[in-house]
Amino acid sequence: MAEKPFEGRAYVITGSGRGIGREVALLIGANGGSVVVNDPGVNLDGSGSDAGPAADTANEIVKGGGKAVANMDTVATEAGGENMIKQCMDEFGRLDGVIHVAGILRDRMIFNMAEQEWDDVVEVHLTGFFNVVKPASIIMRQNRYGRIVGFSSGSGMGGNAGQANYGAAKAGISGGVRCAARDLGRYGVTANAICPGAQTRMTQSVPDSARDLRARAGIAQAPRPASIVNQLREPKYVAPMTSYLLTDQAWNINGKVFYVSGGNVALAHDETPYRTIAKPGMWDMDELRALVPGQLMGGLANPAPPPADLDLPGRPVAAQA
Amino acid sequence: MRAGEDQDMGALDGKVAVVTGSGRGIGRGIAMLFAKEGAKVVVNDPGVNVDGSGGDAGPAQEVVDAIKAAGGEAVANTDSVAEAAGGENMVKQAVDAYGRIDVLVNVAGILRDRMIFNMAKEEWDAVIAVHLKGHYNTIKPASVLMRQQRYGRIINFSSTSGIIGNTGQFNYGAAKSAIAGMTRVVARDLGRYGVTANAIAPGAATRMTQSVPESARQLRSTAGIQGAGASTNQPPQESQFAGLRDAEYVAPMVGYLASDDAWNINGYVFNVAGGTVSVAHQPTAMRTVFKPGLWTLGELDDAVQTVLMKDINNPAPPRDDVEVPGRDVPARSLD
Repeated sequence: MAEKPFEGRAYVITGSGRGIGREVALLIGANGGSVVVNDPGVNLDGSGSDAGPAADTANEIVKGGGKAVANMDTVATEAGGENMIKQCMDEFGRLDGVIHVAGILRDRMIFNMAEQEWDDVVEVHLTGFFNVVKPASIIMRQNRYGRIVGFSSGSGMGGNAGQANYGAAKAGISGGVRCAARDLGRYGVTANAICPGAQTRMTQSVPDSARDLRARAGIAQAPRPASIVNQLREPKYVAPMTSYLLTDQAWNINGKVFYVSGGNVALAHDETPYRTIAKPGMWDMDELRALVPGQLMGGLANPAPPPADLDLPGRPVAAQA
Repeated sequence: MRAGEDQDMGALDGKVAVVTGSGRGIGRGIAMLFAKEGAKVVVNDPGVNVDGSGGDAGPAQEVVDAIKAAGGEAVANTDSVAEAAGGENMVKQAVDAYGRIDVLVNVAGILRDRMIFNMAKEEWDAVIAVHLKGHYNTIKPASVLMRQQRYGRIINFSSTSGIIGNTGQFNYGAAKSAIAGMTRVVARDLGRYGVTANAIAPGAATRMTQSVPESARQLRSTAGIQGAGASTNQPPQESQFAGLRDAEYVAPMVGYLASDDAWNINGYVFNVAGGTVSVAHQPTAMRTVFKPGLWTLGELDDAVQTVLMKDINNPAPPRDDVEVPGRDVPARSLD
């Protein structure tokens, strides 16, 4: 590993005014990389704006001897995504990587979720990913070099109550990464995703009462990698693996999803077939009734089982008692 | 069939179902099977072209006619799932016509394939609107009613293009992967109310798959790009009976998930193609490296190359004529 592995390279990092994005930007800056620090400085729900966070991160990089410029565009629009890529080319003359960390939260149970709450979250996270990856991919393909890192989430990959919008958007980013990896891999470009675990402004907004409720109702939470050191929850712990994916050494790591939290770095299992039943013809319902519960689904739990006192058609009487 | 049940009863007797995109293809097969098993069906299909353009009341009505001719009950609906009002309308039509909604099946979809570096914003937006927003637009109003009645089945359509990956489908793959993620969340929001949500990643020869040119498949294979398939050096798990590609083969598993028997199957993704039915692996941690502190890049390089990513494939490796910084470093191992 070179002493400054990102020397002479330039990166756009969305949402790098605070939290995980900021730590990634600082680590890249400290290792010689030039950074467009994008952050419109909005509130957690996407409202408002503040030039402070992006400028703070950029200043800190410059103070440490690195190169950085602030950018206030929103990833939620096509023009915003194009602008930050253009600013990287204008300022630094090149573009080597895009890291999409920007995101907002509008948690709500699906039966109460307003259309606006759905749209806002999907636009920032998922369409935001398209908005930066599209213009970046043109340049990277021409350069025959590039790195794309999307931020997914355990909520999308594992599922978390009250986050249909966020979980969909985050799983969508994983899907986008897998497709971009296949579109661009032959041109020397890689695309991967990080599912981070860290204590940030965003996770602090999930009330403890919600976590307690889920636990009491027996609703499974998004799986967290087992850790013997759970106290390592600062966002800076996510930065090394994110940055490693940008190094030349990571040239052949492509189309993958990683869980990163504290000192844990895990490769996610691809969603390939886990168990299979097969017959050389069309199944009928009675055959499936006989085979699915045991052969296919045996031991695979319902993450949010119905309460025992609910009168439920199909549930054996013994199980109701 | 359990003891004491009338042998003539269908598995979905008395259920009311909305099936989006059921004028053709996989959706049609589901609507026909549901009706045969005793369900009353709202057959939704605006009859658009594969790219979402146009409109034709014919396909939905034709399926309704076929169901009625076989003695079943169905009504046609030509609303677009891409609009909130469209989703609300088709749920309302189920309630108006049959008094309730028990099952929602989201099959409707379009394609606008393009390599990411050529994809227009409009191509992104159109695919996201129909597939992903379309799922929200129907699930939201259906979930309100299903929660109140403490019963319901939601069956969504994902795709291996999203959960595994495919070239030229950044929009479609993102939407379909998002649908799998949304399904896992909705399952957790609604499970305690007696409602289940699952997703199908289907394989079938339909109007939609025919629109992918054979030249694209050949290009992928000559360029060494893996389509939806293996991530490790193990060969992809192929269907044992790959010849069975008719769209009707997807229907029985959907019917099973809609039945009372499947009351405790919730939050899963199923691959269904021909006579092959698989439950997909949850994207949990497969391998982990750990350090009780902050990793340095050098430490990560060792751990990632020798442990975490050992024998894990790049699905689309760089061409031999591309000068790739880092490629000349010899592969490392722990030995």
